[in-house]
Amino acid sequence: MARILVIAEQRDGKLSEATLELCKAAKEIASGLGATPAAAVFFKDDSLAKEVATYIPEVFAVVDGKLGAYDADYYSQAVKAVVEAKDVKGVLIPHSYDGVDYAGKAALAIGAGIVSNCNKAVVEGGAVVFTRNTYNGKIQEQKSVKTDKFVATFEKGAYDKEAAGGAGSVTAVSVSLVDSRRKIKEIIATVAGSVDISQAKVIIAGGRGTKEKDKYNDVIVNLAKKLGGEFAASRPVVDAGWTDAARQVGQSGKTVAPVLYVAAGISGAIQHVAGMKGSQCIVAINKDPEAPIFNIATYGIVGDLFEVIPAMMEALG
Amino acid sequence: MKIVVLVKEVPDMESKFKIIGDAKIDESQIAFKMNDFDEYAVEAALQLKEKLGGEVVILSSGPERVTKEVRQAFAMGADWGIHVCDPQIDEGDNFVVAGALVKAIESVGGVDLVLTGVQADDDQAALTGVFVADMMNFVHCTNVVKIEVGGDQKALTVNRELEGGLNEVLEMAMPAVLSIQSGINQPRYPTLPGIMKAKKKRLDLKKAADLGVSALGEAGSKTKFHKMYFPVSEHKAEIIQGDAKAAAKTLVDKLRNEAKVI
Ligand SMILES: Cc1cc2nc3c(=O)[nH]c(=O)nc-3n(C[C@H](O)[C@H](O)[C@H](O)COP(=O)(O)OP(=O)(O)OC[C@H]3O[C@@H](n4cnc5c(N)ncnc54)[C@H](O)[C@@H]3O)c2cc1C
Repeated sequence: MARILVIAEQRDGKLSEATLELCKAAKEIASGLGATPAAAVFFKDDSLAKEVATYIPEVFAVVDGKLGAYDADYYSQAVKAVVEAKDVKGVLIPHSYDGVDYAGKAALAIGAGIVSNCNKAVVEGGAVVFTRNTYNGKIQEQKSVKTDKFVATFEKGAYDKEAAGGAGSVTAVSVSLVDSRRKIKEIIATVAGSVDISQAKVIIAGGRGTKEKDKYNDVIVNLAKKLGGEFAASRPVVDAGWTDAARQVGQSGKTVAPVLYVAAGISGAIQHVAGMKGSQCIVAINKDPEAPIFNIATYGIVGDLFEVIPAMMEALG
Repeated sequence: MKIVVLVKEVPDMESKFKIIGDAKIDESQIAFKMNDFDEYAVEAALQLKEKLGGEVVILSSGPERVTKEVRQAFAMGADWGIHVCDPQIDEGDNFVVAGALVKAIESVGGVDLVLTGVQADDDQAALTGVFVADMMNFVHCTNVVKIEVGGDQKALTVNRELEGGLNEVLEMAMPAVLSIQSGINQPRYPTLPGIMKAKKKRLDLKKAADLGVSALGEAGSKTKFHKMYFPVSEHKAEIIQGDAKAAAKTLVDKLRNEAKVI
């Protein structure tokens, strides 16, 4: 039977949550196609493969000293080897920093069409139809591949995590890896700073809609002070230097889960939402009624944040 | 250093979006602009050129109006450009477009670096740079937030951003394809003299036939588009009505007494 294959993701030997989400996705897609779910683990030893086998019935382990850390050249070679050896129809990859780095290359290596950044897949008439975000989350589209095999990358959180508990098989697949053209020198932490917004109970976050540094300070910082919380920002605000990187919420910033998260002038791009969707109560203030942030907010005000926030300050007394 | 920058035109996301027949957005309602991430790529190329010499070539695929974004990059300081203008390419998927861009890059010859944005805000695919690299057999790196070119101008050290505030520092030889992440620099604004000069800079127009592209349109694509629609969310925020003052008052009241979070 053909296989739907999850490519496991790890950093420092720790599996990513996205891998466990894709185990769920693989089972669902496989059952619709009459295929079987499986995973491939590329690592320096077989410890991780055994761990992944508790989430999915069949695991292929590519073990090589070169695979301790992620590398695009090695991963695309390893994907190709497993796909060719093991009757794989579909390859599922997290739409993460590493996933985005090699998924396109792996797709070309196996001659498959790729649909990236998906949030859902359904099997219709024997074909997998993928749903994905476009236009910064304002519009969804559906696509499929025309090739025999497919590669798809999935947004974080698209599927629930699979729970451990099974006892799948682990089979070794051998690959002779051609040397990578990239050499990792080191991994460094780039976000210095003493604030730790991840501990705050109340977070007031401002986005590009706050327009400029002084105005950001005026509305966002002041409201945060008034509520005894921390101020935070979306990435463009940090890129522009209106506040420091330690206050960035999202995929490349902090993950937060306060009791109250106010998102003002933030559109709700997936990379931002990834860092704050666990907040208990989310307030969105945005002048665009179609901003995707309203799809995850508890309360929304459609309006100009420069009118709404001062009015909130007044109402707070 | 010969650097090619891939630039894409995307809708301004604050435009009013309308979908025509489940299949495309109504472009008559849309303001277009250069993809934000590509502006960082143009700036990165210009900074490398200022340090090391050489030339910066802008390459864009799209309809006639794309000239505007190419000229904007010229006004920032790029030297010349290629505009791939062919509906048969635009109707294709990322694979078709990447194939055409590769032919255009090859036509430049002797390219050391290809830079592009990490993703385009319209299709959000994050595929083009990686495809181009693989098709040209160049090494690539995505999500680049720092570039250093070695003394002999043959090797690079780059920082690749990772999740949660980490960077991976990588070494590789050129030629290479790098996709540039926001925050790497502050893109410059075109100056008035820059804008004047931009009008006279060389812009080569290429059709699929000029480039010898064989994978075209729907037929050459590896993916099939089904439909597009506005998201239907199971969850919608409770939208608080009224003018700013009234809405703010109601919100504060709800946060205190309903959600009990302040
Ligand atoms: C790999 C990768 C990692 C990323 N990591 C992160 C991350 O960690 N964190 C992050 O935030 N982003 C991240 N991004 C960027 C992300 O994709 C978005 O570009 C970003 O989140 C958008 O920020 P924004 O909502 O502030 O700006 P925009 O998307 O420009 O939205 C501004 C919003 O403000 C509204 N607005 C404007 N004026 C007003 C006003 N006067 N009153 C009310 N509303 C107004 C507009 O309607 C709009 O909705 C990442 C992107 C990539 C590709």
